[in-house]
Amino acid sequence: MIGKAARRQGRLFLSPTILLLLAFTLFPFLFTLALVFGEARFVGGGLQIGFVGTRNWARLFQDERFWNALMVTLRIVAVAVSLEYLLGLGLALLVDRKVRGQNFFRVLFIVPMLLTPIAVGYMWRMIFDVGRGPITGVLQRLGVSPVGWLTDTSVAIYSIVITDIWQWTPFMFLILYAALQAIPPDYIEAARVDGASGWQVFRRVILPLLAPASIAAILLRMVECFKIVDTIYIMTGGGPGRSTESMTLFAYAIGFRAFDLDYGATIAFSLFLTLLVAAMVFVNMTRRLRDVRME
Amino acid sequence: MQRRLGTVAVYGLLLLWSLVVVAPLFWMVTTSIKDKNDVFLGPKYLPWVDFIPTGQWWVRLFTVEKDAVLYPYLNSLIVASISAFLTTILGAMAAYALTRVRFKFGPMKNEDILFWIVSQRFMPPIVTVFAIFVMYRVTRLLDTHIGLILAYTVFNLPLAVWLMSNFLAQIPRSVEEAAWVDGASLWTTLFRVVVPMVLPSLVATFLFCFVFAWNEFLFALILSYSRAQTVPLLIASQHFQRGPQWWDISALSTLAVLPPIAITVALQKYFVKGLIPIGK
Repeated sequence: MIGKAARRQGRLFLSPTILLLLAFTLFPFLFTLALVFGEARFVGGGLQIGFVGTRNWARLFQDERFWNALMVTLRIVAVAVSLEYLLGLGLALLVDRKVRGQNFFRVLFIVPMLLTPIAVGYMWRMIFDVGRGPITGVLQRLGVSPVGWLTDTSVAIYSIVITDIWQWTPFMFLILYAALQAIPPDYIEAARVDGASGWQVFRRVILPLLAPASIAAILLRMVECFKIVDTIYIMTGGGPGRSTESMTLFAYAIGFRAFDLDYGATIAFSLFLTLLVAAMVFVNMTRRLRDVRME
Repeated sequence: MQRRLGTVAVYGLLLLWSLVVVAPLFWMVTTSIKDKNDVFLGPKYLPWVDFIPTGQWWVRLFTVEKDAVLYPYLNSLIVASISAFLTTILGAMAAYALTRVRFKFGPMKNEDILFWIVSQRFMPPIVTVFAIFVMYRVTRLLDTHIGLILAYTVFNLPLAVWLMSNFLAQIPRSVEEAAWVDGASLWTTLFRVVVPMVLPSLVATFLFCFVFAWNEFLFALILSYSRAQTVPLLIASQHFQRGPQWWDISALSTLAVLPPIAITVALQKYFVKGLIPIGK
């Protein structure tokens, strides 16, 4: 049994973490909430916030740049996360088989996700360069006309997506691979004995068993992807035009370049709300999906 | 026959994705050993075949540009290692308390507290950075090591608590319980009994937090500019100052991704072991 003194110490152990999180996330969250309904002015060394009601929100909803950034972000999230899931699942299934060099492939396949995003962004910027990059040369040899990977307004966003897929498919791979390893081999064996084909085993046994891991992986990746900024910052700076400007980049530009703190905070807060709604919709959707399967 | 075709397809696909992973890194590393002309005059692919490699940019990096490069590198090392150390200790303590003591704060029980801590990771950094910027401006923590260390410690805490509570929930408690009966404190059991048992997990948690602090960009961009400049910030600023001097920045970027690659290889078994609870 745990003693009384130890019980008191438990609070002591927990308190630094709680206090730091309160100071660096909960308090800042409330501060941002105040900025959203206010007007920020620097007076001397301090900051004054005057209440202005919903003025920032009215401005936000009439701002074309906001709707653009929202659509850019949603598009990147939708395309990148779904392709990352499919690729990650495929790779996990491949490596989960009894292949030689399983360890080697496993390590190699997770490497990109821990690399510095700014360096990764720079790397892909060089690769997508039309004159000096390696892709154009290969395409020309194949007789395909060069593509303005980072200079064409309708293509640039997909170059960002490709970069994101390169870096983050490993995350999906990692979680799905771990989940595959946790499936008892008897389940698959039993299905085989009952005469199920390879596809049936995958569709009826493996995929349902992977559902919780899939949902968790997609949710986590989605949340991270909504915050995308590093690679865009260095690859296109939001351009050409504003065709790749994500929500975080937009909020940064307004809040810290134009130094319009309250409007920048409003943009950031709207990203938080979007993220919250998207996560809730996803969780609800998948819950219904799971209920259907149970019937 | 069909089976052999299947095997060929499996290895073909595995090698294809390996190529996808390696090719961009290959391009980055080889660009750092190209002469200016080999960069500007169209794409050159293979060293010794398409172009003669040169080590001049690497030599420059460690001689002429030593200070400009070394300084941010040291900053990154200091900030990432100290913050990762703090995160690991604080995270382990919180996780230990949460897995051993039953708490009740109002309606919040242990699982609720753990969930609240972990969920803080979902908050987009851009939402909180406005307040942190103002806080740092007032307390003069802008562009300081301490400022970045604090920010990164908190940024990684949810991850550390989550990882450590997974690790700590797995170890048997008989020894600790015997110690508690003898009146030992949590402090004693954690640092004398538990830490030696979970040392590899602590190291793994430390290295994860190190990598995420090492890679972080947005906080560094807003909270520091010159004295506390980190490696990602250096790469970005070089890129915007110098334009297409690919060779230099490729060398810098290669230098930036070396620690994460080393850590990935060192940690390979934890990736699967530590993440299995999420798959259940």
